[in-house]
Amino acid sequence: MTEREGSEPPSASSQAANPLSRKLNKILETRIDNDKEMLEALKALSSFFTDNNLRTRRNLRSDIERRSLSINEDFLQTFQAVKEQLDSVYSDVKAMNDCCQDMTSRLKAAKEQTHDLINQTTKLHAESQKLQMKSQVADAFLDKFQLKSEEVKSLRGNRDGSLSQEFFQSLDKVKKIHNDCKVLLRTNQQTAGLEIMETMALHQESAYERLYRWAQNDCRTLTGDSPDISQMLCQAMEALQDRPVLFRYTLDEFGTARRTAVVRGLIDALTRGGPGGTPRPIELHSHDPLRYVGDMLAWLHQAAASEKEHLQSLLKKCSVNEDQIHDVLGHVTEGVCRPFKVRVEQVLVAEQDAVTLYKLHNLLKFYHNTIGQILSKEAALLTTVTEIQDLSHRMFFNSLNCHANKLLDKVELPPPDLGPTSSLTQTMQLLRDVLACHDASVVPVDDKKEDFKRILSCVVDPLVQMCSVSASHLNTSDMAAYMLNCIYLMQTTLALYEYTDTRLEMLQAQVDAQLDTLVNEQAAHVLNSAGLADIYRSVQQHQSKQGPLASLHGCDASTVKTAMSRFDSYLANPDSVIIPQFGLILSGRVRDSIKKRAIDLICEAYKLMYEAIFKSTNEYKEPQGIVPRTPDQVHKLLS
Amino acid sequence: MAAGPYNYSYIFKYIIIGDMGVGKSCLLHQFTEKKFMADCPHTIGVEFGTRIIEVSGQKIKLQIWDTAGQERFRAVTRSYYRGAAGALMVYDITRRSTYNHLSSWLTDARNLTNPNTVIFLIGNKSDLEAQRDVTYEEAKQFADENGKSIFRLSGENVEDAFLDTAKKIYQNIQDGSLDLNAAESGVQHKPATPRGPISTDQAPQKEGCSC
Ligand SMILES: Nc1nc2c(ncn2[C@@H]2O[C@H](COP(=O)(O)OP(=O)(O)OP(=O)(O)O)[C@@H](O)[C@H]2O)c(=O)[nH]1
Ligand SMILES: [Mg+2]
Repeated sequence: MTEREGSEPPSASSQAANPLSRKLNKILETRIDNDKEMLEALKALSSFFTDNNLRTRRNLRSDIERRSLSINEDFLQTFQAVKEQLDSVYSDVKAMNDCCQDMTSRLKAAKEQTHDLINQTTKLHAESQKLQMKSQVADAFLDKFQLKSEEVKSLRGNRDGSLSQEFFQSLDKVKKIHNDCKVLLRTNQQTAGLEIMETMALHQESAYERLYRWAQNDCRTLTGDSPDISQMLCQAMEALQDRPVLFRYTLDEFGTARRTAVVRGLIDALTRGGPGGTPRPIELHSHDPLRYVGDMLAWLHQAAASEKEHLQSLLKKCSVNEDQIHDVLGHVTEGVCRPFKVRVEQVLVAEQDAVTLYKLHNLLKFYHNTIGQILSKEAALLTTVTEIQDLSHRMFFNSLNCHANKLLDKVELPPPDLGPTSSLTQTMQLLRDVLACHDASVVPVDDKKEDFKRILSCVVDPLVQMCSVSASHLNTSDMAAYMLNCIYLMQTTLALYEYTDTRLEMLQAQVDAQLDTLVNEQAAHVLNSAGLADIYRSVQQHQSKQGPLASLHGCDASTVKTAMSRFDSYLANPDSVIIPQFGLILSGRVRDSIKKRAIDLICEAYKLMYEAIFKSTNEYKEPQGIVPRTPDQVHKLLS
Repeated sequence: MAAGPYNYSYIFKYIIIGDMGVGKSCLLHQFTEKKFMADCPHTIGVEFGTRIIEVSGQKIKLQIWDTAGQERFRAVTRSYYRGAAGALMVYDITRRSTYNHLSSWLTDARNLTNPNTVIFLIGNKSDLEAQRDVTYEEAKQFADENGKSIFRLSGENVEDAFLDTAKKIYQNIQDGSLDLNAAESGVQHKPATPRGPISTDQAPQKEGCSC
């Protein structure tokens, strides 16, 4: 452009003072090397303006214009294609727009159409949620208040009657549901509550019945030495506690089974013994009553203790009272009563020996105590032991009485030495043996006292009686000496034992009576041997109306004096004048006592005579010469 | 199921014998109650205690019969030897007389038990070392001389006496020298496995009644 302007004649700037100079100035001012456009234009010009001549210079303008025209034509042509393309784009976009419009309207229509549907589904959805909730509740309810089919199945047990571990869980559940129903009854779900309760009750009843039958059968098998009480049986017992009657019956069944086992055990121990025969069968010792009966009782004691343990392990999960335990144990140990009783009775009836019988009696008493610590007093076994004990008591006293009767039936005569007869010695040995049983025995003391009394009266009374009978043909002194000897033996025996005091006192009274006889005998013997007996009698009986003593027959001074001098020689050697029975008396104490008391009597008699002789009314001359010794002197000489 | 106090597969019967006052009841008490009883009255007849122990993984219930040592009970206590699997023979190391009587106790034990009965000798009151009247060596010799029936002489530990005896009995069972089927072997066996189902004659009768 600039070139064009520049090349144009400066027609428009005619107002300027000098257009040519202005033009020149302008050209001169033009900085061609800085004008890019000019440079480009010139560059382009040089590409086609190759020949610089007049003709070309003249044509330059048209050439440029022609070139410009062709360039514009090219441009136009090119833009034509662009325009066509844009048109096609436009139509596409328009189509799309139409399509969108269509879709929008259709959507709009659809939206209007689905609005109801959506509302409906929302509603349905809410409803479904509610229902789902209800279903969950119902499921939970069923879970809590109904049994699952496998639970029902486990409750029914297997065809063969066996039960599974699940049975107990199901039973627990039934129980729980039944209980929970009570809560249900308090709500407004009473009908459901009642119905469920009824169903559960039915389940429970049949389950308990089944459980009972199973437990009963299980118990029936427990007849071995050591019963295999399973965990399940313990659980069954625990569950059955809710049905006391069934519980009781099951325990009975257990008791019956164990009873059989205990009986068999006893019979085995009695007849078979241990492995290879050691320990030996108890019956092998039947000839030794104490061992035989003792072994049986010890066996029973141990069996009772074991059975108690078995029972406790059966009932480990149950809460039972002592009475129930005792009941069952009583039942378990009842079976052995008969075989045991029969055997012990045989022993007792055949046994004659009082000592053995008494030992057996004490043994039974001991075991009554020992076994009584395990069983209750009402247990049949204990009553049996008591019965046998009573029998042994009777047999023992029978035997003692028998012995006593024999003594009286065939009374032995006293031996010449007036000592105890052999039957007395033997009986005392028997008594000693019987009483000694107690030292070796195991029985409480109060029983001992009662027994002792009875034994003593059973033996000692007939013995004393026997001695009297056997002495009945003897003279008084012999009888007294003999009785003293017999009683002495009894006393010395009894003195060794407790609870014999009253007996000893009674015997002492007898001793005293016999003692008096002998003391009198001895005193009389001394006076007789000196010839003083008649004189003494006269002095005792003398009365003043008879006149002076010295004038009485036999009491004259010389007779008296002779007698007194004989008495004096007795005083010199008192032991020389003594009754013959004295030496036969066994007891030193009795002998001493006879001696002493006889001397007292003699001194008394002497004193009486001495005073009578010195009495003036009795008219003895020289009394000093007749009785030279004072009573005191006599007493001193004799003692 | 947890093993309760009643679960055991064997019962062994023991007796404790020996002169009066040697400490038999104390031993039993210490073993069953795990404490020492200072003032123990004389035993009247026999007393009884139990405890469950474990030998080679087997639970064994010991049923222990403590006898009275007083002479007057001898006739009674002799009846308890029957069927004992183990006999603990006790003497007092401070009283020679109790040791001297061992041979008579041993004779009783041999005559009245079965040949497999394990006899264990215990020298008790070993805490009273200062008053010792019987040396260990002497007692050991006695035990060895009677080795056929006396299994061992105990040291100090009460527990060991009971346990070792049980081990020996168990060993006898294992090697077959103790016949479990014989009556009065002093050992009772309970099969530990649960019993199979038992059939009943009328069980299915009520099958359809419930629900
Ligand atoms: N120092 C000591 N004293 C003991 C021990 N064992 C027992 N005693 C004491 O010995 C005395 C008798 O113990 P018991 O257990 O009654 O004796 P026992 O052998 O049962 O006696 P019996 O029943 O009569 O046969 C008690 O006073 C105990 O305190 C012991 O290990 N050490
Ligand atoms: Mg004791």
